[in-house]
Amino acid sequence: MNIAINPLIALLVFPGGIFLLGWGLFYEFLDRKLVARFQNRVGPRWFQPLADWVKLLAKEEIIPDGVNAGLFLALPVVALAGALTAALYVPMAGWMPSSSFRGDLVVTLYLLSMMTLCIGLAGANTMDRFSLVGATRALTQLFSYEAPFLLALLGPALAAGSWQISDVNAYAHNNLWMILYQPIGFLVAIVGLMGKLELPPFDAPEAETEIVSGALTEYSGRGLALFKIGRNVELVVGLSLVAAFYLGGLSNPLEFILKTLGLLLLTAGLQSLFARLRIDQTVGLWWRIGAILALVQLLAILAGQAIRGLF
Amino acid sequence: MNEQVNAPKKFIVPIGPQHPALKEPGHFEFTVDGEIVTGASVRLGYVHRGIEKGCEQRSWIQDIYLLERICGICSHSHATAFVLGVEKLAKVTVPPRAQAIRTLFLELERIHSHFLWLGVAAHEGGFDTLFMYSWRDRETVMDILENLSGNRVNYSANVLGGVKYDVDEKQADEIRKGIDFLEERAHYYLNVVTTDETFLGRTRHIGLMSLEQAVTLDAIGPTARASGLARDVRVDAPYAAYVDFPVKLVTDDRCDLVGRFVVRINELFESYRLIREILDHLPAGDLTTKCPRRIPEGETISRVEAPRGELFYFLKSNGSDKPERVKVRTPSLCNWASVINLAVGHNLADIPMILAGIDPCFSCNDRSVTIRNPGGSQVWSWEELRRYGIEHYK
Repeated sequence: MNIAINPLIALLVFPGGIFLLGWGLFYEFLDRKLVARFQNRVGPRWFQPLADWVKLLAKEEIIPDGVNAGLFLALPVVALAGALTAALYVPMAGWMPSSSFRGDLVVTLYLLSMMTLCIGLAGANTMDRFSLVGATRALTQLFSYEAPFLLALLGPALAAGSWQISDVNAYAHNNLWMILYQPIGFLVAIVGLMGKLELPPFDAPEAETEIVSGALTEYSGRGLALFKIGRNVELVVGLSLVAAFYLGGLSNPLEFILKTLGLLLLTAGLQSLFARLRIDQTVGLWWRIGAILALVQLLAILAGQAIRGLF
Repeated sequence: MNEQVNAPKKFIVPIGPQHPALKEPGHFEFTVDGEIVTGASVRLGYVHRGIEKGCEQRSWIQDIYLLERICGICSHSHATAFVLGVEKLAKVTVPPRAQAIRTLFLELERIHSHFLWLGVAAHEGGFDTLFMYSWRDRETVMDILENLSGNRVNYSANVLGGVKYDVDEKQADEIRKGIDFLEERAHYYLNVVTTDETFLGRTRHIGLMSLEQAVTLDAIGPTARASGLARDVRVDAPYAAYVDFPVKLVTDDRCDLVGRFVVRINELFESYRLIREILDHLPAGDLTTKCPRRIPEGETISRVEAPRGELFYFLKSNGSDKPERVKVRTPSLCNWASVINLAVGHNLADIPMILAGIDPCFSCNDRSVTIRNPGGSQVWSWEELRRYGIEHYK
């Protein structure tokens, strides 16, 4: 759908602001509910994520001793801002991206990494031992999935011949679904997204039975609320991006809902299937298997294009 | 002073007394180098409840109910160990039907405890689906126990000289039906813990304890049997009805966490077999026999194989209606040494699973606290003891 939206509305209401926050909370509910049902539990009520969020916002924010207070307060804001900004370049709800320029794919991927960087910094900023271990793990994990994830999203971009998300989206819409001839890339992308969001089984950075809450152990109140909603926003943006690239593009709200929900169902299933990976296992998995698979996929695309160029 | 500055700082990760991995308070300090654990220490005693002392102020009969509350999971094991000891002192012969029903409860309790452990251990490894599934299935055995005794946790099945509850044919059929379902589930879980690759990645070769180590560290129960150590009170010194219904010893030679999973699940199959056998051949006769209120003077020990290992009771009577001394040693206490020794060299992420691998029960083993008195005197006045207590728990 291609209707121009007033920039201010695009930033504050749709697709940037309130819509994204609300949709993020809704997807958090769906994710929790699905995982709960897979695990034979009842799961939360539909307004539970919103209630949690409002409650957290209203609570006192404790700034622990020994932290840089400015950094401590700024990091959650930056993390949420990064995730929200990334949404502007993605065809949210099937609309044209609010903002678009050549190479915005790279910018979006960097913006999506802001969250992990902020969480890492937030953990390193405090003196808490659980936070330090969690921060180390979060950053280690960032280095392991980031390259394969990037490669996996480059595959469709190479096929479309453009590094502009709207072009790739249009190309995907007009051609065969890319999941069919780039299945490895799709797998790496969806698992990479789970690593990015620290969902089980990649939740070693916040493994509660080992290091309490990982890097966010010292966060409370508003800071924690912002980090949490930031992660929800990133979930929506990440799912939209993968759906736009691999599932035949997003051209209207119905497609958006169906495709991202399908992906959410897949990630929820993967979340409940596995035991948590140790951080060394995560790194091993990504560099021994993920990166190589993504590279093979990339080489296959390049080879295919070279062969097509010959004829 | 300079040396201190130059010395590499130790990075210690504290686990507990309050920590998501621990359902009961205990304090562990793990010295880590990056993710690798280089040292470990344990401090217990946060939930010392003074039950042994309390026993001396209550009658033999009241003590059954007090001792049952030592552990919320193996409550019947505690009560059985106590009544077996008291009956030995009083030279009372319990009717065979009562002994069989005691054994039935013991085995049902073992099933409920092992299912609970399976869930907790899976949760520590971040495998919440297995946690939820095993706890759901555990409800079956909890319902059976509730059906038999009216209670889910503290069954109060024992009295001095027998048991309170009988098992009729209708209940027996319900137990058989529940056991059939649980047996099928146990097969499924055995398959999961031995074939699921991500789970094996967290358990295979983790917490390796050789047979020699198990002997040296004095491991007991399923923890020891997973290292191939054939040690089970039910087999070595049969009590209650285990003489008539012998148990096959379950061991495993994997020596790691997988072994501990496999041993416990295989023990479940043995429990199912035993329960069916007891129900099919339940001796006829009385449920109780008369036991005196005043127990003759004397000392005795009594041992029971609780789900976690050997439970040891020492009883001393001075001929009155109250015990002179009751000493309890719970199985968890014997297995701490293995955790502390095995932890070194592992990843920090493996620690919760190694810890859970012995199926620890904290408040059970907080029976006594060591008092290190710098003054040298070992005799403390009540006032000093009180002040120490206030300081200790501050």
